[in-house]
Amino acid sequence: MDIINNLVKDIGDGIAAAIIGLLGQGLAADIVIMAIAAIAVFAVASGGFAALTYAERKIVARIQDRVGPNQAGPFGVLQPIADAVKLFTKEDTTPASADFWVYQLAPIIVAVFATLTFTVVPFAPGVVGTNLNIGAFYIIAIGSASTIAILMAGWGSNNKYSLLGAFRTVAQLVGYEVPMLLNIIPVIMLTGSMSLVDIIERQTGVNGGWGVPFIVIMPLSALAFLISGIAETGRSPFDLLEAESEIVAGFHVEYSGMKFGLIMMGEYMNALGVAVMFSVLFLGGYGGPILPPYLWLVLKTFGVFLVLMWLRGTLPRVRIDQLLNMNWKFFVPLSVINLIMIMILGKVFVSDPALFKANGGILIQPFAQVIIFGASSLALLILALAVVTRRVRKDRLAEAEVLQQRREANQQIAAAMH
Amino acid sequence: MTVAQIVFILLSVVGLGAALLVVTTRNLFHAALYLIASFFAVSGFYILLEAGFFAAAQFLVYIGAISILFIFATMLTRTVRGMVPRNSQWQAALFVSVILFVAMLLIFSPANFSLPFGQGRTFGGAEWQFAEVPNKPGVLRDVPASSINDFGRALVDLNQYGIALLLSGLLLLIGMVGAIWVARERKPREILAERARMAAEEAEERAKAAAKAPEVSVAHAAVAHDAHHH
Repeated sequence: MDIINNLVKDIGDGIAAAIIGLLGQGLAADIVIMAIAAIAVFAVASGGFAALTYAERKIVARIQDRVGPNQAGPFGVLQPIADAVKLFTKEDTTPASADFWVYQLAPIIVAVFATLTFTVVPFAPGVVGTNLNIGAFYIIAIGSASTIAILMAGWGSNNKYSLLGAFRTVAQLVGYEVPMLLNIIPVIMLTGSMSLVDIIERQTGVNGGWGVPFIVIMPLSALAFLISGIAETGRSPFDLLEAESEIVAGFHVEYSGMKFGLIMMGEYMNALGVAVMFSVLFLGGYGGPILPPYLWLVLKTFGVFLVLMWLRGTLPRVRIDQLLNMNWKFFVPLSVINLIMIMILGKVFVSDPALFKANGGILIQPFAQVIIFGASSLALLILALAVVTRRVRKDRLAEAEVLQQRREANQQIAAAMH
Repeated sequence: MTVAQIVFILLSVVGLGAALLVVTTRNLFHAALYLIASFFAVSGFYILLEAGFFAAAQFLVYIGAISILFIFATMLTRTVRGMVPRNSQWQAALFVSVILFVAMLLIFSPANFSLPFGQGRTFGGAEWQFAEVPNKPGVLRDVPASSINDFGRALVDLNQYGIALLLSGLLLLIGMVGAIWVARERKPREILAERARMAAEEAEERAKAAAKAPEVSVAHAAVAHDAHHH
């Protein structure tokens, strides 16, 4: 059992030992090992990208009562390879009036920064690109670079639809970064560390902690993080930046061939990154019974991505004013209230005797703490949903009334003209 | 030469080159992008100093937020290309920059300057020396591993940076309230009243200018007369 559980780590250690044996301990061996590790991380990310494009096309097709890709190979599983070959053989065009370097660099930056997310993700115990002590913060920081790349693509193409797409991007991505960050903070607070390894160990109970995933302790944060994460990657139903029916394809109208492929890859990797982050922060990462750890991470990530596909296949696109209202008037205040609530609960109900001695409060059992945190988070979620449902219904009725009045006025005018 | 030195030189070349291009390029959008490259190099310096938190903060705040607002503002200006990167204040700006540069050289240089404020400062309880690290002349000391915790405590400790943090929060709040006030929803009547007030002010100014320079007013009158004829 241990052999299977430690398979990835042992392979990695074996390769590293072989290279050190070949080159001797030193700078050269370090550089080669780092390069191989980087290639491995990139291979995992791009392999996930290829698999997910196929899975998404197949599953969304099933949701919409279509068949999906079925020509290349059995059940169309070779479709990603066919897509890649097609993209490589397409003509690589550049608009005559494009801002040349800005236009060329944008897809590369999108793809590079989307891949960088995976360098801090722990795939199994001991298998992590680099265990940064600021892992969670690093991912948020890296994620903000894609906004710049999209702006560069939108501006560099010198096309009004591209630019409109880029403008929408700024409003959407900059806005939804705020609730995303605000919902990572509770996780960091309860862990006491920003390292993703520490966060997972806190949830699996290896290093103290409750031994339950954070989604049980903070369902509200988990839900808000997932929704703002979807908005942050610009996927449907938040795909305003490339709304086909409104602005053709948004910021990547002018891109063809593999440059378009790189943008597509960046977007998928961002979505995959959100799914991985959700699994790590709220679902306990690689922790789980029976199955080996790396398989658990893959399963959880795919499960989260399934939810993303399901939302994409079923929900209509939101309007820009709905999108921004929902962010600034609902998610941000709710996240702040949630944060303050968790701060107070964390100070009042303490399960660690040492902390109790230092700060006081009410000393309770860890499982009671889990129940209190979870119940208050759930209660806040239900309360917020009740309030917002009422409010939205009222707004909609008011809107309908205005429309009705306008219709009546028009009818009166029409009658007067006859 | 160590790897760290090579990386330092590369980052310096990128950072300084990009900063130079920011002020010399004639395309405002490119200037904003060069500024991002420069910020990126600064972020690299933080990583070189093993201050990962500050590197990520630099990236998030300057590249992820401030630059985007710069670019956004750039796109809303009328002339993005063909700007003249020099204005009437460049001499004064040069003077001030030279003074600041010399002051910074004095503070950060490893030479034996004994400035009253340059040494023995504390940062979150840990001693924080800019100049003169023992045994390693001219090298800044590594940030300690617990720097994030120290930093966090220093920000909430009223004896250190607590008040500064509160004040900056207040400043941001004022900025936000101001922005909301400027962009508030107005009734048509209010907008019309405001336009009328602005028109009145403009007319008053024009009258003042006419009183100052009568020949201009004559020219104006001539133009008005002409327009009337047509």
